[in-house]
Amino acid sequence: MTGWLLAAPALAVLAVAFLWPMAGLFRISLNRTTETGAMEAALTTESYAKLLGDSFTAELAWNTLLLAGSSAAVATVLALPVALMVRAASPRWRGLLALLGIAPLLVSATARLVGWMAILGDQGLINAMLMGSGLRDTPLPLINNWTGVRIGLVESLMPYAVLVLIAGLGRLDPRLEEAAATLGAGRARTFLRVTLPLAAPALLAAWLLTLVLGLSSFITPRLMGGGRVFVMATEIYDLALEYVDWPGAAALAMLLLGALVLLMLLRAVTTRGAGRRA
Amino acid sequence: MTMAVAHLRLAGLVRHYAGSPSAAVDGISLDLPRGALLALLGPSGCGKTTTLRIIAGLEVPDSGTIQVAGRDVTTLPPHQRQMGVVFQSYALFPHMSASGNVAFGLEMRGISRAERARRAQAALEMVGLGALGARKPRQLSGGQQQRVALARALAIEPDLLLLDEPLSALDAKLREGVRDEIRALQQRLGTTTVFVTHDQTEALAMADLVAVMNAGRIEQLAAPEEIFERPATRFVATFVGRAARLRGQLESGGVLRCGGAALRSTTALPPGPAEAFLRPHRVRLLRPGQAPPPGYDNTLDAQLLRRVYTGEIVVLEADTAAGPLTAEMHADGEEGWHGLAPGDALRLAFRPADLAVFRAS
Repeated sequence: MTGWLLAAPALAVLAVAFLWPMAGLFRISLNRTTETGAMEAALTTESYAKLLGDSFTAELAWNTLLLAGSSAAVATVLALPVALMVRAASPRWRGLLALLGIAPLLVSATARLVGWMAILGDQGLINAMLMGSGLRDTPLPLINNWTGVRIGLVESLMPYAVLVLIAGLGRLDPRLEEAAATLGAGRARTFLRVTLPLAAPALLAAWLLTLVLGLSSFITPRLMGGGRVFVMATEIYDLALEYVDWPGAAALAMLLLGALVLLMLLRAVTTRGAGRRA
Repeated sequence: MTMAVAHLRLAGLVRHYAGSPSAAVDGISLDLPRGALLALLGPSGCGKTTTLRIIAGLEVPDSGTIQVAGRDVTTLPPHQRQMGVVFQSYALFPHMSASGNVAFGLEMRGISRAERARRAQAALEMVGLGALGARKPRQLSGGQQQRVALARALAIEPDLLLLDEPLSALDAKLREGVRDEIRALQQRLGTTTVFVTHDQTEALAMADLVAVMNAGRIEQLAAPEEIFERPATRFVATFVGRAARLRGQLESGGVLRCGGAALRSTTALPPGPAEAFLRPHRVRLLRPGQAPPPGYDNTLDAQLLRRVYTGEIVVLEADTAAGPLTAEMHADGEEGWHGLAPGDALRLAFRPADLAVFRAS
């Protein structure tokens, strides 16, 4: 009871700043867009029917899932050695290393993406080196396409994966790896037979969290895609501001939200499983 | 007589931890014959677990060497050492069944699936868990997990079995039974074993040799009776078993002048300030004026301070001219402790050899 009372201010803020606009958005998704582009109040599922009947929505959903799923997987795999290193460090260094691992979160997303543009662009660092050394005549297209979006997304998701993995691996008893060593397992086999299977729940949790973040990412596809990459979030933006189809944008937003809520529920279930195992 | 070749030989092991002023292990040397069980006994922080981890290869010594069967293994990584380790927390792999755990070491040795299933089953049967091989560790009780850990360590037929406080996580009732089982199994297999404990009863009951450790060093390395009966240092005298401490001045001929009393001892120490330790069960209770039995050359008139009756044992705390002393006897023994109340006069006697005398610090 006291807990609820203490949480009341935060819950009130959430209700006003999150639930209320969300309800408003849902209401808009039931409105109708007339031929002239004006929105008229209605109670219709026309926008949902139009989106779900359109093969472009399916392609969009697939592209988004593929981008977020692969970026989340790469980010999780890259985060694992970082988390293992933090875990193996002496307690004195652990805090500092963990902080370094999540340091990218301290820089604004836009600033980081501008940095990537300077590195990946046609006249960027990488292409300057490739062409300067004569390895390539034409610039390697690393930006304004899916590759660029994926690179940017992996980089922005990694700190979250690192955080989740540090927490998850922290519960893994180092005596287990020592036991494997005394039984004759070298480093590689200890990792494959003991560390990795026991880290699996943490890896899944990290992948699901970064997947959810990736699915809803907007700024990275927008800036790194150069207008040539279409995902759910960018399409919602386009529908609302380019086509001025507010009910359509709202309906697509509600569909994305529904998918994210489902994934978060899945994550809650798997992390509870991880807690039981440890 | 042939010289027994040491199966395990530790020579000058030293291990410092960064940021700690004193060494965790400060010059450990010992020889252990094949088939013997050595207990490393000491208070927490005395370096006994670090010593065990160095033997297993889980920690690297700053200096010193480890030899097993004449071969130097100091620089070998743990997975090449052929040592079975039972960890204090058992460290069973939670994602494998009991038989999967036991078979793990055999799998690492490239033994075929059928053969390792057979040997894992045999190892589980050896510890009385033949029917529970399919269970996951979390489905086993603490005592059962302990046996799986032991079976896992023994399945690889180790050159050396290392046990880190293997009984401390078990409840008191189980502990004695498991202790005797481990000892019986160890003797049957003839596996040379090093065992870390802070429990003196465990060490005395199980070991062929006890190394009493303090502050990274071995205070005494000897058979259990020797440790208990003839402690080599003040630390051993106070850490192993209980003892009353008497402080006084040692005179020539081994006479300890202690308060108003002159006590005879068998010490060869030169005269000077000294302290002596006396085990309560060595002290005989006499009536005032009663002549002591032969050999009990030290007698002290005393006044009873406190009587503690615990069923099997009676403990009498008495004030004497030499200082407070404790006598301990079987409740149903010959000695007439019945009817004694605080304030009563009595007489205490003990033999000169019962006094362990050390130079006062």
